[in-house]
Amino acid sequence: METFFNILLSGILLGGIYSLVSIGLNLIFGVVRIVNFAQGEFVMLAMYATYFCTTHLGINPYLAVFLVAPLMFLFGLAVQRTVLQPLQNEPMMQIFATFGLLILFENSMLALTRGEAYSLSGGYSSVAISLFGLKASGVRVVVFFAATGIALALMLFLQRTMPGKAIRAVIQDRQAARLMGINVERTYLLTFGLGTALAGVAGALLAPIYTLSPYIGENFILAAFAVVVLGGLGSVPGAYFGGLIVGLIESFAGFYIDPALKQAIWFIIFVAVLVVRPSGLMGQIGAEEVGLREQS
Amino acid sequence: MKRILSSRLAIAAFAISASASLAWGQTDTLRIAVINPFSGPMALYGDEVARGYQLAIDEANAKGGVAGRKIELLRGDASSPPQGIAAVEKLASQDKVEVFTGTYISAVSNAASDAALRYNRIYWDTNALAGDLTERGLPNFIRSGPYASSFAEVSATATKELLAPALKKDLKDIKVWIEHEDSIFGSSIAKLQKELLEKMGAKVVGLGAHNFRSIDLADSILRAKATEPDVWIETGYVPDGSLLLRTMRDQGFKPPAIMMVGTGDTFETLDALGAEYLEGVAVVGYPRPDQTEAYGPGAAAFLAAYKKKYDRDPIAPQGMTAYVGMQMLIEAIAAAGGTDMEKVRAAAAKMDKPLKSYASGFGAKFDANFQNTRAFPTVVQWQSGKVVTVYPKDAAQSHVRLVNLPRK
Repeated sequence: METFFNILLSGILLGGIYSLVSIGLNLIFGVVRIVNFAQGEFVMLAMYATYFCTTHLGINPYLAVFLVAPLMFLFGLAVQRTVLQPLQNEPMMQIFATFGLLILFENSMLALTRGEAYSLSGGYSSVAISLFGLKASGVRVVVFFAATGIALALMLFLQRTMPGKAIRAVIQDRQAARLMGINVERTYLLTFGLGTALAGVAGALLAPIYTLSPYIGENFILAAFAVVVLGGLGSVPGAYFGGLIVGLIESFAGFYIDPALKQAIWFIIFVAVLVVRPSGLMGQIGAEEVGLREQS
Repeated sequence: MKRILSSRLAIAAFAISASASLAWGQTDTLRIAVINPFSGPMALYGDEVARGYQLAIDEANAKGGVAGRKIELLRGDASSPPQGIAAVEKLASQDKVEVFTGTYISAVSNAASDAALRYNRIYWDTNALAGDLTERGLPNFIRSGPYASSFAEVSATATKELLAPALKKDLKDIKVWIEHEDSIFGSSIAKLQKELLEKMGAKVVGLGAHNFRSIDLADSILRAKATEPDVWIETGYVPDGSLLLRTMRDQGFKPPAIMMVGTGDTFETLDALGAEYLEGVAVVGYPRPDQTEAYGPGAAAFLAAYKKKYDRDPIAPQGMTAYVGMQMLIEAIAAAGGTDMEKVRAAAAKMDKPLKSYASGFGAKFDANFQNTRAFPTVVQWQSGKVVTVYPKDAAQSHVRLVNLPRK
């Protein structure tokens, strides 16, 4: 029984990682309607930035997040303004552009690191929590609570603030939103910046968990896309609970069936959800189509 | 006028005779090319292998070269099979390379050696591990270093001769969990480990496969933990190996002995886990220069030469295996009197040096598929943040003792 609860806990904590990485991607996917292949690389860049802050500037990785996230926000604004906005009416070209960014970021980091793997060792990454026979990594618990906090804060932002309401309006119908006086381009800019900053938070909090390599972003992005589609486009609770569902499925399938098959199993569920409910578990019905129709 | 003409004729005749003394396509230096990744994520080890070659070539050139010619090392950058083929074609046709060597990525070695055969060039591999490279019987392919089976074999014998006694148990009472990444590299080694360990009498309580790109391996660790193994053996790459060890620590899984195979003996693992946690972890890897001179004659000289030339300690142990491989290649070329494919193969077939002849502890005796049957990895153990050779016993320095076994 203890093993069962440990698997449950590790699934929830893994879900926290997926949620954290997916929330920013979901925001960009749901609002700007860009399949941002470079989102994993934003996470990777943030991990390296955190590594740099910690090892060279002596900043605690959990304080570095307050430096890395704003920097990533600015970086996201720059990418949206200079690369993606000029391609706004060419969605296919935007996808290719994000793929180009993926290669660019990966190779730039390869050139800088020569492929050497880096790790943030020391106190933070080695803290393990043990309670009533349940065991967990301290840094993963932090990630889970951060993902929960961010999901709640983002929901409040979207529900209670004017920029948040503008974002929700654009999610529903960008043309109608424009007619209501919303500056759609500025909303895109804000959303992309926000999505990139969330990747920054994810990178900073995940840096103590993993061995850093220029390709690490790819390890997250496949699962993150599945979470986004499973949870529902543009839905913050969808990304959060979608992440938890994928984490739990992966953990239980890995233990009770076969670790080598765990991804295949959650992709079967992912495809099944797509067939039955294309808008995702918590997405607004029809939202998966609205943004992709011809709009300007 | 007549004198000018005759002197020009003399120069021309000299030039013709000089070039005639070299076979078609040769340059005055003997060009050997190394095919390895020199850019991208695997460049670190590609460079290290090339450094090993260069040291052996410097040694040979200091003694006058080989077959009357100085040796020059050229680089062919390849991280994928198509790049390997392109590099060989360019180096063979434009740069007049006569012999190819490399390549620690088996897939690249496979494609590049095939391409080298089209130019009738020897492909002398020192660092690729896949068994099928020699088993396919390519007529230009020779491997001087250990391969996957050697790693599986040493991990099994070390479990019997090193770990079981340290745990004060008979091998038949030892429970082993074998974990591996799920590509052909990890799977083939794990399969052979299981066969060998069961044959020796150990109880293999589980065989776990994982994807090396996984971002969570708690399931793999919890499965192993449930079987309460005495020895946990893992074959994989650096990121998944580090993640597995971190997860073990978080999950409170403390097998009495941990043995990593292939990776886990570099600063990358030390950075990820720290010296305290790694204390006592054993790693099956390429031989390292800290072994005894009786086991690896010339190991200390290799280390000194490396430090002198590159002003640092070796980054990874692959370099010494590459260095020894290049020494064997130069010996084979000397015995063959040149680089003709058939003659070098014939010379290699005649090589018969016992174990402990080279700095890595290797001997030289090639089987029918031209796999060196006297090349084996060694076992090191993490001790106070450093890796120390502990097995075979005669490779370990006399003052070296096993530490933290069983693990606390």
